[in-house]
Amino acid sequence: MGPVNIQFRKKEFLSQFYFVANQSLLLILVCVSFAAVVTVLESSFHMKLVIQNDFMVPGFASMMILRELGVIVTALLVVSRVGAGYASEVGSMQVTEQIDALKMLGIGPVQYIVTPRVLACALGTCVLTILANTSCLISALLVSDFYLGYPPSVFLQSMRRFVAPQDFAFAMIKGFLFGLVIPLISCSYGFRCQPGAEGVGSSTTKAVVANSMTIIILDFILSYIFSHFY
Amino acid sequence: MIGAALETLGQATLFIYQILKMIFHRKVDRVLIYQQIWHIIEQSWLITLSAGFFVGAIMSVQFTLQMKEFGALGYLGGLATSGTFREVGPLLIAFMLSGRIGAYTSAELGTMKITEQIDALRCLGADPMIEIVAPRFVGIILSSFFLLGIGLVASVAGGSLLAWGFAGVSPEEYLRHIPTLVTGFSIINGLFKCLIFAFVLASVCTFIGYNTGGGAAGVGRSVVNTAVATMVMIVFADWLTTYLANQWIVLQGVG
Repeated sequence: MGPVNIQFRKKEFLSQFYFVANQSLLLILVCVSFAAVVTVLESSFHMKLVIQNDFMVPGFASMMILRELGVIVTALLVVSRVGAGYASEVGSMQVTEQIDALKMLGIGPVQYIVTPRVLACALGTCVLTILANTSCLISALLVSDFYLGYPPSVFLQSMRRFVAPQDFAFAMIKGFLFGLVIPLISCSYGFRCQPGAEGVGSSTTKAVVANSMTIIILDFILSYIFSHFY
Repeated sequence: MIGAALETLGQATLFIYQILKMIFHRKVDRVLIYQQIWHIIEQSWLITLSAGFFVGAIMSVQFTLQMKEFGALGYLGGLATSGTFREVGPLLIAFMLSGRIGAYTSAELGTMKITEQIDALRCLGADPMIEIVAPRFVGIILSSFFLLGIGLVASVAGGSLLAWGFAGVSPEEYLRHIPTLVTGFSIINGLFKCLIFAFVLASVCTFIGYNTGGGAAGVGRSVVNTAVATMVMIVFADWLTTYLANQWIVLQGVG
């Protein structure tokens, strides 16, 4: 069943990359910034509870953001937007027999549909993670300036004490791997879509659930592995 | 674009107002609500428990790394639990449920709409809002509130198990510090968040599912829209509840 002669679809890759990275950008930045604001407020609450002082909040919050929050919230939002989108797109292609048509033409559907999406989503999520972390840190900086009274210089100093250079690399690796997993799972559910409107709906739902679950478990595994490298 | 967004918001408000009015006038059959609650819990309890377990484990790993630096591993249980209960737990478990319950209900209602089952009900003289939408709305609120609660309990189990294997903190020691750091206010705060998230989940998925149009692709589109809209609104609601809780602390002087 090998594909006859397919080159890498550069145009499709670029348009998918645009869809993943550019069209979800605003949504993700806004959501992640709100999540960062919540983290700062909550960790200030906890610090006051334990050591009656919240001077460590900036460093603590920036570490929390870089290690977990920025990546996992971004990845879950990519699941809801890109992952669900791919599952319903491939599912409707399956239902309307477009995939059978591709096979008839001697074109391997996996290579034709999945490959550009996987590459685009992996790179796109990696880029989104970097941008999301940046906007997270900026909003955390602003909130600790306005609410907690720590000027940016103090924030950056405290951040420097807590955050290791590896954190940036680990966040990017996590983002890349999450981005790699999302389209694989979504497209596989899309290919196995049952006929009819009900089939498209249920395969999209299953894809979203499987994706979120995989990401939470994968995040745990990666955090555990990375914790040996500090 | 802003006009269209405002229009959708207005429609959604009217939609929810209509459902709430039906509930308060007791037009909704209780048996239908119980059926929905049972159906949803039966479907999602396992996935919620495992999501909660892993969320607790992740928080435990991260807090262990920090507490080791300060030599304060005794506080691990209390801090990780408090952090999970007040902020990360409800957020991540609600994200999970928005995929599970929200997308499922939206696909179900969308399919009913596309295959004209809802019109058929109307032809038979039954109000689809009372028969189909309102029971789901109430059922989702109650059951996802319950599921978020048991997810939080599972997160404590995951956290303590991981602290045992990873940091060598025995479960007794882990659990002993929970009552000192997790105040009643934190638990109420976490549960209040769960309730708000459940309300958001129920309203978004019923509204978008009920307004589906345009064939099989339309069902797929509404599922995607539901997932995106639910997550965005949950993050926003998360910020709002934290902000209000902090204002409450300032007003009351309690912690």
